[in-house]
Amino acid sequence: MTYHQRTARQLQLLLLPCVLLVGALVVYPALYSIYLSLTNASLVGVAATHPRFVGTRNYVRLFADGGFWNSLAVTFWFVLGSAVIGQFVLGLAAAVLLRRPLRFKHLINSIILLPNAVPEVVAGFIWISMLAGGDHATLNRLLGALGIPPVRWLQDFPLAMIIVVNTWRGIASAMILMTAGLSAVPGEIREAARIDGASPRQVFRFITLPLIMPTIFLYMLVSTVTTISIFGFIYALTRGGPGNATEIIGIYIYNQSFTAFQLGYGSAVAVVTLILSLAIGLVYVRALKVEV
Amino acid sequence: MFNGRILAGISVAVALAIGSAQAKTIRIAEHRQARIDALKTVVPDIEKKYNVHIEVVEYPAPEKDYLTKLLTELRAGNAPDIFTAPHGQDVADMAAAGYLAPLTAELKAWDGYAQSVDAAKAMATGKDGQMYVLPAMLNVQQIYYRRDILEKAGISTAQPKTWAELLDRAKEIKAKTGAYGLLFPAGVTWGGGSFTEGFRLLIVGTSTPQIANDDGTLNLTSPGIKDAFGFYADLINNDLMPIQPLLEPEPWVLPKYQMFPAGKLVATTSGSWCYIYDWGPESKNPIPNVTEVVGSWEVPGKQGGQYVLVDLESPWAVNSKSPDVGLAKKVMLELGSVKADVAYAQNLGNIPGRTDAAADPDFQKLKPLVPILAALKNGTGTYLKTAEGFSAVAEGVARATEAQLRKKTDAAGAQKILVDYVKEVVGDEAVK
Repeated sequence: MTYHQRTARQLQLLLLPCVLLVGALVVYPALYSIYLSLTNASLVGVAATHPRFVGTRNYVRLFADGGFWNSLAVTFWFVLGSAVIGQFVLGLAAAVLLRRPLRFKHLINSIILLPNAVPEVVAGFIWISMLAGGDHATLNRLLGALGIPPVRWLQDFPLAMIIVVNTWRGIASAMILMTAGLSAVPGEIREAARIDGASPRQVFRFITLPLIMPTIFLYMLVSTVTTISIFGFIYALTRGGPGNATEIIGIYIYNQSFTAFQLGYGSAVAVVTLILSLAIGLVYVRALKVEV
Repeated sequence: MFNGRILAGISVAVALAIGSAQAKTIRIAEHRQARIDALKTVVPDIEKKYNVHIEVVEYPAPEKDYLTKLLTELRAGNAPDIFTAPHGQDVADMAAAGYLAPLTAELKAWDGYAQSVDAAKAMATGKDGQMYVLPAMLNVQQIYYRRDILEKAGISTAQPKTWAELLDRAKEIKAKTGAYGLLFPAGVTWGGGSFTEGFRLLIVGTSTPQIANDDGTLNLTSPGIKDAFGFYADLINNDLMPIQPLLEPEPWVLPKYQMFPAGKLVATTSGSWCYIYDWGPESKNPIPNVTEVVGSWEVPGKQGGQYVLVDLESPWAVNSKSPDVGLAKKVMLELGSVKADVAYAQNLGNIPGRTDAAADPDFQKLKPLVPILAALKNGTGTYLKTAEGFSAVAEGVARATEAQLRKKTDAAGAQKILVDYVKEVVGDEAVK
């Protein structure tokens, strides 16, 4: 056995635990979901114990299901509003600001990081107390002190509210990644640009931003895929309502599988979501030629 | 060598002896702290009687989440030996899935069977004639109103005879007091309660008072269903019911625990527990002299008739895949004892499913519950027959009434939402 063969074998052995875990916890469930999506499996009734093969019926139904398309649209706006715009813009701004000498820098850093320490469902309940309607909710009490009448936040602006909450939760992750990206930009390049007469805005626009682009797209890839799969805090906050105004795809899959008890149909939605996530990931990785 | 074999033999014998002397374990699923506390009062006696170790497995409190977790475990084959179905409406669906062990022979041979309320026995019997659940507790519901506020405003407290009279009364309340006149639970966040505490109370008083047809299909296209949604439409369109709280994450908190005690809501559907827990001495927001201040009306029918609605309250069932179904059934029957029933009545305010509980001194202390059990013994109580697909009906009603609350549809549209949803879940052929 040559040195290269031995090294390759060692690397394979090192990867084996990871491959086994991914196989057992990701690949197998995904394959099982594909199988379930081709049946009428249910949590109740005869189909719970004796599911029938129904071919592509669940997929045909799915593409004619207004609820599914609604959940895709809600998911799109949720991802765009919270991950792509909210978390990224505020995370980048926080990273840029916190690289400068600031009073209370550590305190501000801690405040931004704090939402990450709160479990998802707990965050949901915290925001219920903030955003509930009527004059008992925290935010409405604050508004009341200013003479502003109570607002039905979760009824009148449900999608905007879950975007706000997810932005609040995700700024820290964005800030950490952007800080790492900014740290990797050599100071000499910025210094040279300044000597050549570039304004701070031009330095950021033409030097810093292009150099942290790989970090930005890595962040976009991770945050888009993880935001699509968010479930806990929205379930705690609105359960997808009112109506289906906040029924993002994760909530829709749960509602079909565990509220309507249709495991087969819920699995079909999950499979389509998986394909969409993979496609989005490929777009980020291939079209933008980012090495991940 | 020889000594080693003797030692090994003795060790095996001792291990076997210890193993045979160890009590078997029966796992019981229970949720909500009040229910868990009630269960724990009877566990020691059962353990002693059957030399069994009982493990109480605590489940999530909201009934929707409890049912989801339970069903997932039942399907996976690792659910506890004994559990409850949250409502009577869930039993047929669970039985059809094969999750529930048949109990007919054991229940009929049980000494508590003769004492069981007739309606309880009837509700526990499926369309195949088999019994799959022990109807230990009953959920009895009607309309409760603030007698003090009505009398002060000069509004009649007489029993309304029809829906029209009930709506007129609610309008009069609104006009003379400014308070909301009547609440029927509705919407998605109220969960199964939109059906069990709201819609169900109306449907029995319509021209088509049952949803389950004899052939096992569901009668959802009937005029009665549309009329019931029409009743909701009247409440909503005339601003007689507080709508905004029903769209919040915990929709019962504001109307039942704050608005009703404060007199901002004057009448609401509720159950026997309300005199003790919602507004009674165990409430966080009690109404002084609650039994005098709060009166009750039976639910009027659309054109007449009066109804007190009865349902199985979390009936006990045995997991058909329990490693020891026989022992699990014996333990489960103990959960239908008078002592257990009274413990649950004390903690929850529901009504025991057996009439001999009425003589229990501890039950007699629960004064508001005593006449309700006596009335049930005398045959009072109307119930909906259930069938496979009722879980979907309950969810469909929640979705349809939510659309009404948001003023997105009328009664006919709400009926269509219900029909479409149930057809989608259980199939076109199941709905008539």
